[in-house]
Amino acid sequence: MTGARLLRGAAGAAGFFVVGELVIRYGIGDDMDFPPPSTILLETGRLLADPDFLAGVGATLANWALGLLIAICVAVPLGVLLGSLPPVERAIRPVLEFLRPIPSVAIIPLAILLIPVDEMMKVSVIVYASLWPILINTLYGMHDVDPVAKESLRSFGFGPLAVLSRVSVPSAAPFMATGVRIAAGIALVLAVSAELVAGGVAGIGVYVIQAGSGNRMDLMMAATVWAGLFGVAANLVLMAGERRLFHWHRMRTGAQS
Amino acid sequence: MTRKLRCYAVALGVTVALTLAGCGGSDDGGATSANSKGLEKTTIKVGALPIPDPVSVYIAQAKGFFKEEGLTVEPTPITGGAVAVPMIESGQLDISQTNYVSTFAAVAGGKKIKLVADMYQAGANCFVIMVPGDSPIKTVADLKGKTIFVNNLNNVATLAVETQLKVAGLSKDDVKFAEKPFPEMGNAIKAGQADAGWITEPFITANQSANGFRKLADTITGQTEDLPIAGWMASEEWVQKYPKTLAAFQRAIAKAQQLASSDRKEIEAMLPKYTKIDAKTASVITLGTYPSELNANRLQKVADLMLEYGYLKSPLDVKSVIAAPASSG
Repeated sequence: MTGARLLRGAAGAAGFFVVGELVIRYGIGDDMDFPPPSTILLETGRLLADPDFLAGVGATLANWALGLLIAICVAVPLGVLLGSLPPVERAIRPVLEFLRPIPSVAIIPLAILLIPVDEMMKVSVIVYASLWPILINTLYGMHDVDPVAKESLRSFGFGPLAVLSRVSVPSAAPFMATGVRIAAGIALVLAVSAELVAGGVAGIGVYVIQAGSGNRMDLMMAATVWAGLFGVAANLVLMAGERRLFHWHRMRTGAQS
Repeated sequence: MTRKLRCYAVALGVTVALTLAGCGGSDDGGATSANSKGLEKTTIKVGALPIPDPVSVYIAQAKGFFKEEGLTVEPTPITGGAVAVPMIESGQLDISQTNYVSTFAAVAGGKKIKLVADMYQAGANCFVIMVPGDSPIKTVADLKGKTIFVNNLNNVATLAVETQLKVAGLSKDDVKFAEKPFPEMGNAIKAGQADAGWITEPFITANQSANGFRKLADTITGQTEDLPIAGWMASEEWVQKYPKTLAAFQRAIAKAQQLASSDRKEIEAMLPKYTKIDAKTASVITLGTYPSELNANRLQKVADLMLEYGYLKSPLDVKSVIAAPASSG
């Protein structure tokens, strides 16, 4: 990212902040009781000194990371397997297409009923939700493998496993990485949503519930700001990782830097 | 040599296992045990909303009342009684906060739930109908044809409002109830989404000071005077499986309830620790009472009101829902 772009981004954020501040302070003044951005930002900073909130962040991020990790460990091998066995994929595809569009948040009440351990319930819904983007992207990646490359290897006498590990999987890897990046965002949504629905000992969502019940809209918003920041940070880290690892892929597809 | 060693190991293992089994047997007899109180379960998860009602569990925790009973309690914030029922059914929670209207409706619907301790009884002005300061609505009768916000439909909120409508010669068909969480009611009423709201603390105080709302009517008066609101519940299975653990919990909670009802300062000191209600707000909000005994006669009033207003189809004997505290520990 160039300096000029960074500057423009910062200017945009600052402009948004100022407009929000002015509208809330002077525009809607009497019609609505809502904390202005400056108050929220102040509380966002102060939350760093709140042990309850920090414990919540730890709990939420732990569920998030564990859920995402399990989803990767399940979805990537499954995607590779289905991608390399087209008849099986055709058989399973209808089930996948049925399960995929179910809004993951809607399965939280079911998970509460079925899974007796709170953390396990939360991790399960995170896994369920983040499975799909990784699986679907892996499948796309497996379909996208250059057939000439596969054929060449075969004609040199390489077996199917060698073709898989030397051509198919590396070629599909950038797609998997994109799937993981999308899943990371979804996993965070589910990590916080599950807490908002089910409560729990600690969590960003639990903190939001407590703040809401105590009439502290400023704290609710501040905790939400942190959740957003974690999402942005995860996205940046994963995007940087993709850029580093799969430079060749972007060259091939001609993606912009 | 190795085989011989393995034989010894197996023999040793069997001996240890038998000894342990023997110990287990004597445990059941209650002679010697790992925990001196002979509790079936020493660590329990207790669900509670981050509001003033369940303060007793936090008082009992802070004062060591649970510890004296050999209990380790993990208070767990929940989001509502409706979510808590599947949680006690699945074992995610051992005991949870519930409100009586929800509990009796659930029991009438076939849920196997027992009330194990009392928690919170409303007092005057604990739940009020509020309107904006400049609202043309001056009396409950003026609510005819208006929209009223409640936190949950078909629950204690609508029941309490209906009792006041009846006094004013109206019924639930004369008004429109709409659901809205307490934190959002003030703004939504100001934005014109509803004409009035059924509100509790700390939002009564907040809406008065920040939004200029005024109280239209107290809903804890007349038929609803001293209305029992919330209690502690467990699943029927849990109550049968862990009688001693339950008795220990009941003793500790009763002690904390007594402290809470005798000294408001104890509640005020605890609120900022488990809710986001600060000390200043805690000192001014209206609080109900904290009965230390689960009294079937008092609770029967809730079930009878529910029957009268159509929340229950047939009479419910509250005694059948109560898991009576065992008098002997």
